[in-house]
Amino acid sequence: MRFDSPAEQNVSDRMKVLGQPLRRIDGPLKTTGMAPYAYERHGVAKDQLVGYPVGSAIAKGRIVSMDIDEAQASPGVVGIVTTLEMERLPKVDWNVAYLFGGREIQHYHQAIAVVVANSFEEARAAAALIRVEYEEDQDATYDLAAVRQERLSDDVEPIDNIGDFESAYASAEVTLDATYTTPGQCHAQMEPHATIAQWDGDHLTLWTSNQMIEWSRQALATTFDLPAENFRLDSPYIGGGFGVKLFLRADAVMAALAARKVGRAVKLALPRPMSANNTTHRGLTIQRIRIGASQEGKITAIGHDNATNTLPGGDGENGARATRRFYAGENRLLINRALEIHLPESNAMRAPGETAGLMALEIAMDEMAEKLGMDPVEFRIINDTQVDPSHPERQFSERHFIECLQRGAEVFNWASRNKAPGSRREGAWLIGHGVAGAYRDAPAETSGARVSVRPDGSIRVETDMTDIGTGSYTIIAQTAAEMMGVSLEVVNVDLGDSRHPVSAGSGGQWGAASSTAGVYAACLALRKKIAERLAVDPEALEFSEGYVRYNDQQTALSELASAGSITAEDSIEFGDFRSEEYQLATFGAHFVEVAVHATTGEIRVRRMLAVCDAGRILNPMTARSQVIGAMTMGVGAALMESLAVDTRHGFFVNHDLAGYEVPVHADIPEQQVIFLEGEDPYSTPLKAKGVGELGICGVSAAVANAVYNATGARVRDYPITLDKFLDRLPEIA
Amino acid sequence: MATIAFLLNGAPHQCEVSPNTSILTLLREHLALTGTKEGCASGDCGACTVAIGEQNADTHTFTSANACITPAHQLQGRHLVTIEGLAKEGRLHPAQEAMIECHGSQCGFCTPGIVMSLFTLHNDLTQRPAPLTPERLEAALGGNLCRCTGYRPIRDAALRMNDMPYERPQWQDAALSTSENDAEITDPTAKTPFFAQPLSLAALTRLRQEAPQARLVAGGTDLWLESTQRLASLDQLIDVSRVAELLTVEATTFEGQPGWWIGAGVTYTQLEPLFEEHFPAFAHLLHRLGSQQIRNRGTLGGNIANASPIGDTPPVLLALGARVELASVKGSRCLALENFFLDYKQTAMAADEVVSRIFIPQAIERSQLRVWKLSKRREDDISAVLGAFSYRIEQGVLHDVRIAFGGMAATPKRAQAAEATLEGSAITADAFRAAQRSLDEDFQPMSDVRGSQHYRQQAAKNLFERLYLSLSAPDREVMLHAYAH
Repeated sequence: MRFDSPAEQNVSDRMKVLGQPLRRIDGPLKTTGMAPYAYERHGVAKDQLVGYPVGSAIAKGRIVSMDIDEAQASPGVVGIVTTLEMERLPKVDWNVAYLFGGREIQHYHQAIAVVVANSFEEARAAAALIRVEYEEDQDATYDLAAVRQERLSDDVEPIDNIGDFESAYASAEVTLDATYTTPGQCHAQMEPHATIAQWDGDHLTLWTSNQMIEWSRQALATTFDLPAENFRLDSPYIGGGFGVKLFLRADAVMAALAARKVGRAVKLALPRPMSANNTTHRGLTIQRIRIGASQEGKITAIGHDNATNTLPGGDGENGARATRRFYAGENRLLINRALEIHLPESNAMRAPGETAGLMALEIAMDEMAEKLGMDPVEFRIINDTQVDPSHPERQFSERHFIECLQRGAEVFNWASRNKAPGSRREGAWLIGHGVAGAYRDAPAETSGARVSVRPDGSIRVETDMTDIGTGSYTIIAQTAAEMMGVSLEVVNVDLGDSRHPVSAGSGGQWGAASSTAGVYAACLALRKKIAERLAVDPEALEFSEGYVRYNDQQTALSELASAGSITAEDSIEFGDFRSEEYQLATFGAHFVEVAVHATTGEIRVRRMLAVCDAGRILNPMTARSQVIGAMTMGVGAALMESLAVDTRHGFFVNHDLAGYEVPVHADIPEQQVIFLEGEDPYSTPLKAKGVGELGICGVSAAVANAVYNATGARVRDYPITLDKFLDRLPEIA
Repeated sequence: MATIAFLLNGAPHQCEVSPNTSILTLLREHLALTGTKEGCASGDCGACTVAIGEQNADTHTFTSANACITPAHQLQGRHLVTIEGLAKEGRLHPAQEAMIECHGSQCGFCTPGIVMSLFTLHNDLTQRPAPLTPERLEAALGGNLCRCTGYRPIRDAALRMNDMPYERPQWQDAALSTSENDAEITDPTAKTPFFAQPLSLAALTRLRQEAPQARLVAGGTDLWLESTQRLASLDQLIDVSRVAELLTVEATTFEGQPGWWIGAGVTYTQLEPLFEEHFPAFAHLLHRLGSQQIRNRGTLGGNIANASPIGDTPPVLLALGARVELASVKGSRCLALENFFLDYKQTAMAADEVVSRIFIPQAIERSQLRVWKLSKRREDDISAVLGAFSYRIEQGVLHDVRIAFGGMAATPKRAQAAEATLEGSAITADAFRAAQRSLDEDFQPMSDVRGSQHYRQQAAKNLFERLYLSLSAPDREVMLHAYAH
């Protein structure tokens, strides 16, 4: 079905199952260890061999030679595939770096060989015996700050150049010109990349861990030069992704190449220490922000100049995106300098662009409010906009940012915050409060599903949609239960299999809204089919408690399907009105209280509140879980997460969970989340939008602003570690 | 190959695996029990947490461990409980039930490890009822990373599970196999793999002499990373964790000093009660050493023999004037700990020797110990700088000053110039400033991801400032606890 106009009253509005805070239906499987993840699917293919990858030891250059004789002779080795055996394999545009093949090295730990052996230990031992001779390029650059400095005068096509920014800024009554930096960040998802591959003639099956089944099927078709139909991917459980599993990655390509070479199934996992440099990261940024405003606090000019690292062909972390549609201001100059730096591939990580962009912009807003002598909540309210500032003819479908700020201020008791930076002490601790706004677009993508009523009266839903921890299983089951009038327990959901209808997949915060809309469409098709069987107008049917009711009659679903399952399939396609006539987005406000130790500078986050405006919430429990998880990642980004760059050799040094530090239990306080009541009929028939990325947007800046408020020391260089302000702490009385 | 006999989720089990097999590989690859996950293979994330049970009177006491870095052969005669074992006949364990109810799981990959940590906590609470304080919760969960949920739902589950009815099932305390695996090694000089598990010091030193090329393993918390991270093959191993003499703590007098001989195989967890009573500052440090899983496995002897410059206990032991006993077939010798560390990962231990015991002298009257660990993260982290200060104050003057640092040199090392500066000084700002200056003589630290040279030097000096402040205004001293809220 097409979604060509705003949703009206429909079956999903019943909200008996949808909208309820229901436990995730995959909970029992996950807490008993029975949910199967990619690397452990021993049963799917017989006689699996084990592959172990070899990564490049240089960041840029070429391989002169590879000596695999010793490895080949090592015990248990069945075969070795090296990158020199083939030309560089083609890739789709979603991937920036090439995944395998050829002599050229684009980045450190690029996959260059895979050793296949009977056991993991044998494969690993043999991999260590491969000798590689490299020729390193001397012109490679790994230092973003240096390259940015050299290329500041480059003519870059702005993202937005509206009005006359330079004049407006020059004549503004109050101005801010500040530069912020964010480091590379690692997804650090708990499950490493892993794939089991098996060929049957020229057909390949991959049991893997991937967020976007269809994208990866298309990518495989390109890479292996075979029709997409020849590939099957199966990815029912995914141990976290956050963007690092959006695209086809080297684990899948290596497993496929290895399986082809040895003629048997091969399983392969990327070892954790290879993940950071072999796969992707959130790019580093250096962001210069200039804001001009009137004395009254109206923004008249806003400029955001973002520099970020990328390999050729990528966008990096486009921080300037965040400024496009968030605040009003007639004169705007937004630039993204995607600079070619020969670090590994920078690509999407949870809310790409907005995360790093708001880390900077929302500190700038705080600094500006201070210059104006205004409450930062008030300053943001004054500069709210109900139209897309880059296309003022387009309204936001729903935008309740002001309400987020006001509600948050009230619940957080913002009025009693510390008002003068560095002035509130509780014992040994300096107490500070910070606020930041959150913005993230709410896109939707075509999404399909197949729904059946089975002879036992149960409902089965099949779609290639994935659940990366987000709760897809649960909200899809809720949607089908609501639409077909059954209880959640009798809905069976099968996800992540490319044999199922193509869905939107998990990415860009569109998964929940799009995939449930697809299930809605398929359920409507099934209802229609049932109506046809009963020769009744579908509008006259009522589905409830496992029965179809019409004209004073009722039939059990099990009876209808007693001769065999009734199945329908459909897909939802979103009309242009959704993206062209309106701007759809989600909004939020984050409030944070921190304590900073007055003598040591140690930072403790004490309480956090998020107020979110994201349309109808399909399941408050899974949605809340998304938001608090994202807030936690935001605390990590604010206070500790940073990929350390070796600017001599071009790699990330802290490429494991010992060195790349993410928050732990003791770092995270009580977190409160409020969802504003509301629906967005312009979004989907279910009037829902995503929240998984909104949750991280702005959090880090709220923490940063709170640290400033506690200490009076402004840090513009993330992560905010105590060494960056220790010498600026207030004098101890 | 050698046979291991152990209880697996209440049922006797026997299998043959090579010495370098970890419990995680045993489970996932040999037994096809894949509920236990591999997230990092380095003991950092806790996704592979399992419970290991040992006989304690009529019941088994379970402790959590990282299966990825624990040798499978150490299971001999013990009880391994995995995520698959908890639910019986469709009834979930309260840890599982509570995790579902409190929405403590998202992607689910860390969940089995978290459930197992909760299981050991639950077991602990039923055996030794005591309030579930924030500190206890933090300790129980600190070794489990989660990237999805935001942690508080897991904490909620930990609190919730205790309100759920539970009857300890019989399988949890099934009879343990008593057979020991003290197999003789037929030809230790050959390249044949072995995992020897001597029970006495005599047997250990004999093996050590016969097979000096073999590696010694206690908790495996560092050694095993050589296998998982550096791709080394650990196929000849001598397990010290069952050597009776290495497992005792004896209060005694040595060279006229009262104190304790602590067996090299005593784990951090086992040391906690002794340190709580006699060296609270040391006990406080233990709470921040690794994670619960690591503390349950790691040993004092291993921390010393490993000779890492960033091990947590050596600087404290140096400050306390500890001695280390080295044993071989020829007998034993004792040396001051500072004479044990020679250079980066180089020690005075000969190829045929083992660290058998450590002597910690009892604190003499009025002496004090301060220990400060600086690491980037509150828990589950390695020190950037660790400073340990031992001293005695008599009439306002410092005596017997012993100061040692980790993370400042190639070995854990005493700050002798700074010690000399403070020895016999009154507690004045000037004296401490002088000590800070002397620190430049003592150390020229290096830069790495845990801290730059400048940061390390500055932070180490700041610890002198902190010591001065705490001595000059004792009521102002603040020990940071995890929850400042």
